[in-house]
Amino acid sequence: MSSAASSTTHGSAVQRWLAPIVWLSLLLLLTLGMGHLEWLFRLLEPDLRQVIYRRADFLTLLGQHVLVVGIASLLAVALGVSAAVAVTRKFGRDFLPLVSQLASIGQTFPPVAVLALAVPALGFGTLPIIVALLLYGLLPIVRNTLAGIDSIDPQVHEAARAMGMTPWQVLRQVELPLAAPFILAGIRTSVTINIATAALGTTVGASNLGDPIISGIVNGNTAYIVQGAVLIGLLALAVDSLFERLQRRG
Amino acid sequence: MGETRQSPNWVLSSLMLAATAAWLTLDAVSVAPNRIVPGTPYAALEVVGGWPALLMAVPMLAVVVLAWRPNRKGLTLSLGVVMALLALLPLWLAAATAVLVTPDMPQARVGIGSALWLLLFLLLLVLIELRTRLGMSRALGWLLLVPMLLGWWLALSLWLEPLALLREYHARSDQFASAVQQHLALVGAAVGASLVVASLLVLAMRRHTGVRRVGFGVLNFLQTIPSLALFGLLLAPLAWLGARVDWLAALGVSGIGWAPAFLALLGYSLLPMVRNIFVALEEVDPAVIESARGMGMARRQVFLQVRLPLALPVVLEGVRITTVQAIGLTAVAALIGAGGLGTFIFQGLGQAAMDMVLLGALPIIGLALVADALIGALSERLRPGGAA
Repeated sequence: MSSAASSTTHGSAVQRWLAPIVWLSLLLLLTLGMGHLEWLFRLLEPDLRQVIYRRADFLTLLGQHVLVVGIASLLAVALGVSAAVAVTRKFGRDFLPLVSQLASIGQTFPPVAVLALAVPALGFGTLPIIVALLLYGLLPIVRNTLAGIDSIDPQVHEAARAMGMTPWQVLRQVELPLAAPFILAGIRTSVTINIATAALGTTVGASNLGDPIISGIVNGNTAYIVQGAVLIGLLALAVDSLFERLQRRG
Repeated sequence: MGETRQSPNWVLSSLMLAATAAWLTLDAVSVAPNRIVPGTPYAALEVVGGWPALLMAVPMLAVVVLAWRPNRKGLTLSLGVVMALLALLPLWLAAATAVLVTPDMPQARVGIGSALWLLLFLLLLVLIELRTRLGMSRALGWLLLVPMLLGWWLALSLWLEPLALLREYHARSDQFASAVQQHLALVGAAVGASLVVASLLVLAMRRHTGVRRVGFGVLNFLQTIPSLALFGLLLAPLAWLGARVDWLAALGVSGIGWAPAFLALLGYSLLPMVRNIFVALEEVDPAVIESARGMGMARRQVFLQVRLPLALPVVLEGVRITTVQAIGLTAVAALIGAGGLGTFIFQGLGQAAMDMVLLGALPIIGLALVADALIGALSERLRPGGAA
């Protein structure tokens, strides 16, 4: 990050990126250094032999969590934005009412239920989680992209066409940039829900930061629960603050 | 959209073609001799000689043809066809069950296959599309589901005893009833409490800007924390409190159970509730308040007789969002021993018993949809100039 260079022009680049930097460093520090806090967790569970979750190291768990959410979210953005763009073109306009209604009805479905239904359909493992996160994550993105494109003044559209822009250019240079803040807000909602739902992955046979929590509940080890919960919480806050920063820019 | 559209409706035709293809090619049912052995799948065409399945495919293709020239008459006819198909589906399943389950299989379990699920899903999409094209209201749209629900009710209560889902339910019907009760009680308590707390918070926020800033900050922060993590984080302090404070322990407060679930649900419910109440009270037109004052109304009267009734629909919107959200989150709370329908999901996942997972997940989705529709309709009615 070239914060030194930009700080001369913007004054306080570090300050503007402070929240994401703080959450991210806390997350990484704790992920790598949880073992050094054994004395602290000892206070919480003085009678147990083991107070630090060791079945897998936290960095691997964090990596798996980020990977699953990342893949699902990237696919959701690609599919969601293309779907919303397709149904707002001339050839796909027939599908617009159905898609927009589906996006709003679908959001009534609880994410846990969607995750649970993915297992009978796809079996246990990482695949059902990615599919469930992808399907659920699509909804806010489709909905917000539609709202974003809908919010553009028709006159802007006409002016762009009158300037001789091709439909593709109008989409790339006018519609998508103007809809970007909406789309970004949709992605933020989608990712936030996905981080939370992915944590339940342990119950469908995938391992990630939810593991220590579930294992702690099963074995009655509060220390494990706190370790998992703090890391997931920090991950969510780091990602959310990153989006917050990006949205302010846009 | 009153004009008769002459260009083909591609939505209807593509959905219906997909439905027909799924129905005729994928597995529609599976039959297992007991709970442990995996079932033998059957395609719809393999059941009863296949002619009932083919017979059902005819009206599906008829809808594709009707979509070619989608005038009002054709669309209404299609609507009738789709409603009939939705009602026939459970009856077809009943017939298939009767044929496939022979008397020498008293423990037989019939599973619903992907063809049936897909057909159900696609037909419901077609129903939504037709409802929109015919310009029907949301309430009328719900009535369109009545024949289907009657069909399922009839089939489930008379003929579908070997259905795996139903067997799973009969094996634990008491447990199911109390799970539904616990689920609703937790949701009701959390939404009710959040309504009270949020109202008090908003009153404080309207007085002091500081409270407003800090309040929204804290609630936004809470909303970001994933549910499983928040349940986990509440577990430790509540276990500590429950072990040390006698009267709290007597109330049943401990790290596991309703207490952390309730607190977390309350926390999550506050943001949408506070936001909506705040906006509702803030957005009442100042001119209306002015004229109420001018008529000699006291502050109290203005609040109770003008501000509150005008704000009510927006507040109810907050109740709707909160309730739907809480129904889903309560399912997660089953992991920390709060009971509710999530218990079936997680027990079922633990035992790889998919019908038990469905027994938890389907009612949760049902509850969320019903709550959404009911509260949505109520807030629609209360809106000034609404259907009331």
